Amino acid sequence: MVTYLTRRLLMSVPLLIGISIVVFGLLQATPGGPLSNGGEGAGAQLNPEQIERLRDEYGLDDPLPVQYLSWAGGIVTGDWGTSLRTGRPVLEMIADRLPATLLLIGLAFVISLAIAIPVGIVAARRQHSTFDYVATGVSFAGFATPSFWFGLMLLFLFSYSLGWLPSSGLEDLRETHTGLDGLWDRVKHLIMPVAVLALVTAASLTRYVRASMLEVLDQDYIRTARGSGLPERTVVMRHALKNAAIPVVTVAVLAIPELFLGTAITETIFSIPGIGRLFIESADQRDYPVLLGILVIASLLVVLANIVADLLYALLDPRIAYA
Amino acid sequence: MPDTWRRFRRHRLALFGLALLAVLVAAVVFGPFLLPYDGERIDFAAKDLPPSLTHPMGTDELGRDQFSRVLDGGRLTLGVAASAVLVSLVLGVLVGAVAGYAGGLLDSALMRGVDIFYSLPALFVVILLVSLFGPGFLTIVVGIAALTWMNTARLVRASYLTLKEREFVEAARALGVPPTRIALRHILPNALGPVIVTATLGLAIAILIESGLSFLGLGFNPPQATWGGMLQESQRPVISEGHWWRGFFPGLMIFLTVLAANFVGDGLRDALDPRAAGRRRGA
Repeated sequence: MVTYLTRRLLMSVPLLIGISIVVFGLLQATPGGPLSNGGEGAGAQLNPEQIERLRDEYGLDDPLPVQYLSWAGGIVTGDWGTSLRTGRPVLEMIADRLPATLLLIGLAFVISLAIAIPVGIVAARRQHSTFDYVATGVSFAGFATPSFWFGLMLLFLFSYSLGWLPSSGLEDLRETHTGLDGLWDRVKHLIMPVAVLALVTAASLTRYVRASMLEVLDQDYIRTARGSGLPERTVVMRHALKNAAIPVVTVAVLAIPELFLGTAITETIFSIPGIGRLFIESADQRDYPVLLGILVIASLLVVLANIVADLLYALLDPRIAYA
Repeated sequence: MPDTWRRFRRHRLALFGLALLAVLVAAVVFGPFLLPYDGERIDFAAKDLPPSLTHPMGTDELGRDQFSRVLDGGRLTLGVAASAVLVSLVLGVLVGAVAGYAGGLLDSALMRGVDIFYSLPALFVVILLVSLFGPGFLTIVVGIAALTWMNTARLVRASYLTLKEREFVEAARALGVPPTRIALRHILPNALGPVIVTATLGLAIAILIESGLSFLGLGFNPPQATWGGMLQESQRPVISEGHWWRGFFPGLMIFLTVLAANFVGDGLRDALDPRAAGRRRGA
């Protein structure tokens, strides 16, 4: 197990180096380099001497491989540079924004699973029933719904027309709520963003659970279990679910980085101060140290999710050897 | 191929998707010539009207007919998406064919490249590209293509790996046909089947990415309308003034197009690989 994990981690090192070169190269390919912003963004207000000083500070006149090594070295040792816009350390800015994003992703993930697992199981158990058709139809529709459109229509319905839910932020800034009231305030702010973020994940996971369950229910050992007189509930929950879960777990873990990327749109619609919003703001201002920092985190998340998915697969499926 | 088409026709949702897609494309291409209004014409006497018989999708704060704008915008949205899919296909087929046919070190190197691009956080990288190079047709098309070619490359490579061992390729080689000609004329046509599925599903993804970019304000500059751009403009009117039609219809068009493309893609996949389709349906 430990050797498997070590090998898997070692294998991802060249991958990470490759990713970081591509990401770093992207910024270098900018016409005129990172600081010449064509009159927009963070570099616009700088005079030539300041630009010269910044070029010096960031080592922009060094050869590219030297620049890459010093940047990558900084990432590894925890020096992620400072923002061109605010002058604050990049890591600090990311850390400030992380809690809101983690809250959104965590809730969206849990809710997607809480919808996908029961709906997928019941749809598979009653294949071709009305429930199955409705569930399949809704998941197809959810899959094709642009999240920003869904968010906008929710805002129209629940904020503008009905006035039930607040349209932006994570908490009421005009008055402080305490205790249960405060909790309810948080919940009200989170309902729509979490629904928007969870939409696609819930839709695709439901399809996976259903498909995976259908395949397992068709197996001989399920017929044997039924034939030996076990109650249907036991057959489905004990015998089928365990095996149906294996491919679903992989897909679910890989959905986490997708959720992370989805925050760019969700946090923008609902003005939530998270990483996604920070990325869009920094892109507007071409604040490239922050952009690079967030890209590093997002790439790490993708690579890590792949490792965890492989690991879980190996753990859950005894047919797969660790070696 | 006739078999594939016969199986595809039996797939009712796929047929529906194909018809819907045809109607949408026709409306977007020919519609602007048939409508009484010009999408750019400003008419303050008719501003902020809800949907009615004269303006089926309402009007905006400048009195522009939303239906005409939606059709105009669709041309750009679909044009960008189709171009992105085309570039992505060419790139994917090229890399996949070279990797699969050449094999060896070149193959491993190209496939590690595929791994790297698979691990890039796609949406963030496209946002970065567009904000660095400025929004424009080329940036957006190349940006989307650069992050979506990998599926095609893997599929084409796999096809080449099996096809190059087949008898007809061996026969061609024995007859002295040059390798490039074998790769292009003999193998390529047989390797394209699965690619069609990726292309159709890719169209849906490209539309969603382009619209998302426009919604974030990273799309084409006004007055050039795209569906995502119209949604972005509609945020204030919808949320603060309750002009729901401003956002509802452009979004509906994205939804219908993506849904149709997904239906067609699923139908094609089942038609090309009937055994897997049986398994998927649990038959």
